[in-house]
Amino acid sequence: MKIKLLLTALMALGAATLVAAAPPVQKIEFWTFSMKPKFTPYFEGLARSYEAAHPGIKIEWVDFPWDIIQTKLVTRIVAGTPPALVNLNVPWADEFARDGLLTPVDELLQGARQRYLASTLEDLTFGGKTYGFPMYSNVAVISYNTDIFKAAGLTRAPNSLDEQLAFARQIAQRTGKAGLCPALSKIDGLMMQQGLPVIKDGRAAFNSPAHVALVAKLAATYKAGGLLKDSLFAEDNFPAAIDAYKGGRLGMLLAPPTAVKRIETDAKDIYAKTGVAPAPLGPTGIADGGWLVHFAVPAGVDKKLLPQIGEFARYLTNDANQLAFAKQASVYPAAAEAARDPFFLAVPPGAGAAEKAVSAGAVSMPHSHTLYVSGVTDYDELRRSLVKAVEAGVTGRQDIQQALDAAAAIWNKKLARQSKLSRIQGQTPIAAQLASSQPALMPLSGPSRIWGQTPNAAQAGWGAGGIW
Amino acid sequence: MVSGRRTALAAWLFLAPALVLLAAFSFWPVGFGSYLAFTDYSLIRPTSSVGLDNFRYIFDNEMFVTGLKNSLVFLLMVPFVQIGALGLAVLVNNRLPGIRLFRAAFYVPVVTTVSVVGIMWGFMFHEQGALNYMLMALRFVDAPVGWLSNDTLALFCIMFVTLWRGLGWYMVMYLAALQAVPAEMQEAAILDGASRWQRFWKITVPMLHPTIMVCTILSVLAALKAYQEVDVLTQGGPMNSTFTALYYSYDQGLKHLKLPRALAASFVVSVFCVGIAMLCLRYLKPRQK
Repeated sequence: MKIKLLLTALMALGAATLVAAAPPVQKIEFWTFSMKPKFTPYFEGLARSYEAAHPGIKIEWVDFPWDIIQTKLVTRIVAGTPPALVNLNVPWADEFARDGLLTPVDELLQGARQRYLASTLEDLTFGGKTYGFPMYSNVAVISYNTDIFKAAGLTRAPNSLDEQLAFARQIAQRTGKAGLCPALSKIDGLMMQQGLPVIKDGRAAFNSPAHVALVAKLAATYKAGGLLKDSLFAEDNFPAAIDAYKGGRLGMLLAPPTAVKRIETDAKDIYAKTGVAPAPLGPTGIADGGWLVHFAVPAGVDKKLLPQIGEFARYLTNDANQLAFAKQASVYPAAAEAARDPFFLAVPPGAGAAEKAVSAGAVSMPHSHTLYVSGVTDYDELRRSLVKAVEAGVTGRQDIQQALDAAAAIWNKKLARQSKLSRIQGQTPIAAQLASSQPALMPLSGPSRIWGQTPNAAQAGWGAGGIW
Repeated sequence: MVSGRRTALAAWLFLAPALVLLAAFSFWPVGFGSYLAFTDYSLIRPTSSVGLDNFRYIFDNEMFVTGLKNSLVFLLMVPFVQIGALGLAVLVNNRLPGIRLFRAAFYVPVVTTVSVVGIMWGFMFHEQGALNYMLMALRFVDAPVGWLSNDTLALFCIMFVTLWRGLGWYMVMYLAALQAVPAEMQEAAILDGASRWQRFWKITVPMLHPTIMVCTILSVLAALKAYQEVDVLTQGGPMNSTFTALYYSYDQGLKHLKLPRALAASFVVSVFCVGIAMLCLRYLKPRQK
């Protein structure tokens, strides 16, 4: 009898709990890459405060290493259980969007478009649709070793690509040290930043006299010992470049402000003699080293949940949160108001190179674009054949024109095949896709408040350098 | 008859667990992977057969062709590895003071992870690294040599590292075989007046023949499948000159998610592995007397 009573009481309690239960909890899962453990408190704090302000919403944050997030995302989309939001960079987003794996976010952005820097939304617009909420970006600055500059008879930072190369040669001649370490594996980005198209009308365009002249300038600097030979053409030559700079073997380092912070930590003596300046803009007006990271909405998310996802994405990328994140991570916010914060623009009295680097980068930030070529299948393989040709030309192993012509022949063969396939499948021809993806020439804003210089079209920059 | 069947049944029962594991983790992936090499498999689209398209693509691709050539060039290393390992085994087979330390030292590269090997040899081969420092101090060279940035030298540097990593492994195998050579045979030969050299050629080498065959085949397969050292030292550069066939497969499959092409490349490597292993078996098999 007692047992019966007990069971009845338990059942009644259970029923009461069910009746009194809160409305169903909606889960929003968002993914980032390579944020743990440094930014764990930041993201967990964001999630908890959002949950507190939005009862009924449960936020789940998942962080993956950057090299596996794409595979994980594809797997989850195919399984029908995609996360609500995922961190992507622009080339990934472009590829996913072309494969129909992302949801356009134009409606979710609502009136928030003007909150983001125009250049960042332009980077995320493919085929007239926007595919993400900009979160942060980066931009390169020039750090230079003042002792090496002094020994080489140089008194200021370079203002153009030609000057950078000339300075590098002068440093090599007078000090025996390398002047520059550009990321030549991203030569396509450098060409685009310099206003030299990589593809035109569906055909390779990088073997024109202007392109040959650019490679010839690099070759002359290489021959003079002005370019650091370590990993010059490696996919990622940043470790070699910063090591050489920290070791006092490199005159100029073109890298984001985070690199200056690293120099401060690892090589205090070199940091003490480091000068900083904004990286010159290319003739296109595009700043060097732009690499936008954003939150995209994968395809297949629950459509009923889209308004909540949009609201959460706007919260994640609002001015206050972007500012807080950018300050912690030494990156630049993609939100317009946050980007104008005095933290980035004002140089405090007695500031060191690290603080100066932040404001030097902020000057270039509105001109930051992620430079890449979209719409070409197996682009990475084509890029590598271009890099190989440039390497042969720069190192003097092959005539530059011949090397570029040979690479162009490989490109044209593949591009022709792809165009044919596109026509068969009724897709947009390559040329049109490329044309729409090329960054537009940007009108440049007024003079820099901090550096007293006008970023103008005459300033040439080191294009691909900072894409690390 | 019944006893024979029961023995066979018992044998299959004992084999069954291993066969199940092999079927699940070796035979099925090999079979399914080979099938996928003839398709346009992608996680996001339905799979359809594309015949030999993936093979046409890879053979039209400079990186794979270079990689395949380089994988065959890697075979040049096999005699050096085998002769070196056998020489080392003979050396450390002597009872000398501190010989165990040497045995362990030669084996250390085998148990060192490839990432550590990459960092260490990256430092050695660096233009400002230990090797150039030494060569310049000894005045063998006037300027630093770009060991890993020169497209002719880089592949040989990587081959050297694989040789360095492999020596210890084969040395241990040869050492075990050497210690199994009956001492009486050596003693009888000494009594018959055989020289050290004669004993080595007439007794030791014939007794080691099966081990030499196995080691050679393993070494050939390892050479054809080399890719880790490439990944940690050069990532295929400079000028794609250090691509190997399997590194191309890894690059396509895991870096670019082009699985059918990666599988086609692996299929070609497998065909080479099987073919060359069969040749080795045919020509290195101990002859029945």
